[in-house]
Amino acid sequence: MNGMADQMLLSVRNLTIEYPEAESPSGKLAAVRDVSLDIPRGGILALVGESGSGKTSLAHAILQLLPIASGRVLFQGRDLGGLDKAGMRAARRSIQAVFQDPLASLSPRRNIRQTLLEPLNHFKTGTKQDRVDRAANAIEAVGLEKELLDRYPHELSGGQRQRVGLARALVCGPSLVVADEPVSSLDVSMQAHIVELILELRERLGVAFLFVSHDLSVVRRLADRVAVMYAGQIVESGPASQIFKSPAHPYTRALLRAVPVADPGHAAPVVLEGEPSLPLTPPTGCVFHKRCAEALANCSSRQPVEQEITGIEPDPTEHRVKCHLWNP
Amino acid sequence: MSGRTDILGKLKNDRAGLAGFLIVSLFFLLALGVWLGWLGQGWSDAGGGRWEAPGAEHWFGTNVLGQDIFQRAVYSVRTAFEIGLVVALFSTLVGAVLGALAGWYSGSWVDGTVMWMKGVLDSIPFYLFVAAVAFALQGQPWAMHLAMIATFWTTTGRLVRAEVMKIKSMDYVRSARSIGLHDSLILARHVLPNTSHILLVQATIAFVAAIKTEVILSFLGLGVQDGVSWGLMLAESTQEVLAGHFANFVAASGMLFLLLIGFNLLADALQDALDPRQAAL
Amino acid sequence: MSASPALSVRNLSVYVREDGMERSVVDGISFDLAAGEVLALVGESGCGKSKTAEAIMGLVSGAAGRVRADAIGLGDLDLAALGERGLQKIRGCEISMVFQEPLTALDPVFSNGYQLATQYRRHRGQSRKQSRDSAREMLRRVGFPDPDRIMRSYPHQLSGGMRQRLVIAMAMACKPRVLVADEPSTALDVTTQAQVLSQMIRMARDTGTAILLITHDLGVVAQYCDRALVMRRGQLVEDAAVTRLFSNPKHEYTSALVSAAREMRL
Repeated sequence: MNGMADQMLLSVRNLTIEYPEAESPSGKLAAVRDVSLDIPRGGILALVGESGSGKTSLAHAILQLLPIASGRVLFQGRDLGGLDKAGMRAARRSIQAVFQDPLASLSPRRNIRQTLLEPLNHFKTGTKQDRVDRAANAIEAVGLEKELLDRYPHELSGGQRQRVGLARALVCGPSLVVADEPVSSLDVSMQAHIVELILELRERLGVAFLFVSHDLSVVRRLADRVAVMYAGQIVESGPASQIFKSPAHPYTRALLRAVPVADPGHAAPVVLEGEPSLPLTPPTGCVFHKRCAEALANCSSRQPVEQEITGIEPDPTEHRVKCHLWNP
Repeated sequence: MSGRTDILGKLKNDRAGLAGFLIVSLFFLLALGVWLGWLGQGWSDAGGGRWEAPGAEHWFGTNVLGQDIFQRAVYSVRTAFEIGLVVALFSTLVGAVLGALAGWYSGSWVDGTVMWMKGVLDSIPFYLFVAAVAFALQGQPWAMHLAMIATFWTTTGRLVRAEVMKIKSMDYVRSARSIGLHDSLILARHVLPNTSHILLVQATIAFVAAIKTEVILSFLGLGVQDGVSWGLMLAESTQEVLAGHFANFVAASGMLFLLLIGFNLLADALQDALDPRQAAL
Repeated sequence: MSASPALSVRNLSVYVREDGMERSVVDGISFDLAAGEVLALVGESGCGKSKTAEAIMGLVSGAAGRVRADAIGLGDLDLAALGERGLQKIRGCEISMVFQEPLTALDPVFSNGYQLATQYRRHRGQSRKQSRDSAREMLRRVGFPDPDRIMRSYPHQLSGGMRQRLVIAMAMACKPRVLVADEPSTALDVTTQAQVLSQMIRMARDTGTAILLITHDLGVVAQYCDRALVMRRGQLVEDAAVTRLFSNPKHEYTSALVSAAREMRL
């Protein structure tokens, strides 16, 4: 396991995140429980799940915006928890963020140039002229005109703002971008453009993406690998093609069947009954058993173990699931 | 700055706001004239007879000592602006800093202390507090200013605290934190500038409140120690009105009334023009 | 469809004021909504679809803007000719609306049960006891297995999907002729969206309520609607049955939308 983590750009191992304020009689409440994932260089991993599943908490913990209760986040093989000040600075420079609401993620009283220069100035990149050039290059790399540098966020359209958000993430030359629902507030045609742009940037700059989304159609077009979260746990993970073609976990299947397909001839969406269980109050046994149509007798009493289901080769293409159906 | 031209443009379309702006500008020019020594310099000269009627020489007449009431009323504009500016500036500054700290570190001991101070200050009756401060600092000319600053910051502080708590969870602050910017830099660069609409409006409100309060305090003998103000003029007039001499009373209260109307109109218009929710898409 | 339509809009325009200038955001549109029909109003953000809904509900007034229409017929009534007083009597009863963000439609200080029961008391003149029974029954119909627990709790204690179902229950309490739903599932997860939309449409079919469903999602149009109006820059560019809209779009904007949606398909 450790050997593999070395080759990975980002490896998360047995990560648990607790809510700072909330406490129950049985101790601290967890937003994310015992989660592991890997992203190779230039890879795109999509983290999928309903709101409240813990996917945003996980993204924020990787960005060092939330404290980690237990487990490790390894970046280029080094534990982010054990870095000295200089190492931390370097890591922060290499891991950048893009947020959901493009307007809320840009400081309203600073123009685009100031916004793009901020990370460059903070990390003291090159000379002053270098920084100005890099800001101009970044804005062009995301397909915008240099004239926009003097504008303010409220003068841009939603799509332009999200491109600026991407430019700010890319301006320091990161190796990983953590993007939290970056397209879900955009129109469909604009979503398609941003998806194309992310794919092109990965191709050209070799940047890896952790892409947090609840929109499965966007994920399908973008991700190499998909991790499905439910109630603070990853219940299934694998290559995108396999997840969409032959989903293994009953929750993943329910998720895919609930999507309304833009074709009147296609089968109607299937309703997944019940309310989503919050990570705060995980049921005993499998987190999904209360809503699962295929639940077995022991699903309510025993936690399922993560299971390899393709078993072809132990590399990033592996397909894993946490379900008793696969481990009778 | 496109933001600033937007505000001016909006003010132009708001007639009441424009009227307020003109009135306040006129008073400001008067205050400036006094400062530069062009106006109201003869406010303490007893150049006329007692209680002369308004006329060509003394426009508003004279008071009991034979001083020119017009000159005194004009000189009081300077007193009012001085007190208004000092109190507005410092109370807004204190409110911004304490409110921002409390909001940024909400839930911590910093927040607890600031909110406790605000609670204590808000619960003391204001004039009692001022009287206590004036008594403690006997004869100090700035006792009144200090008392006002110490109590006026609480509203600004509460509003800024709430706004900072909201801004703190915005993604642009998260983005700044994710690259490891220091808290003080984030506060100065991304948080405080976005509370400026609150600060500007609160400063105008404090300005008006300070002028009003000065009049009341001077009337009670707790205010202006040397010089002249509308409050002192009103205090003088209490005796005169009974004797049928209204010049002091009308001049002081009339000018105070006009300035307050102007400021309230301007503050209303500013509030509308600066409210980000009213910004066009 | 020979019966008279539930809603009949004729030559509706909406103007908004911006920087002292009046700009038209809806430009003389006309359409009919048949009783019991689920009609989609589709378009990208800013095309005027939400303003159309607000105008029909009589929610555009004063500083917000101005509405002009030859007629907005709801059964025998003409909403365009009705004053604010008259509209208030109709709204929430003959025609009701569901918004994208359900929390804004709920009052945080009253229990869910009280808010729902009020609908029955106000619009249908039921007694306190009757109205609570009706509310309980309604909650069961929108899929809450334990209505008493929901009745006792407050809006903030519910999840987004539960809140939206509560708002739909309130909107459907009077069995309105027309339900206007403005992006009712856009803020929800796919699983919750399926739950909310299927429940809403099932209830409307039971009561014969017609739905005007405003959405930007062609998946929602294909799977839940009978007919669709395509809107662009304040004008209707296409009006077609859903099967025809996807198999044979007439307007080039519609075909662009349909092919973009196909590309994004799972």
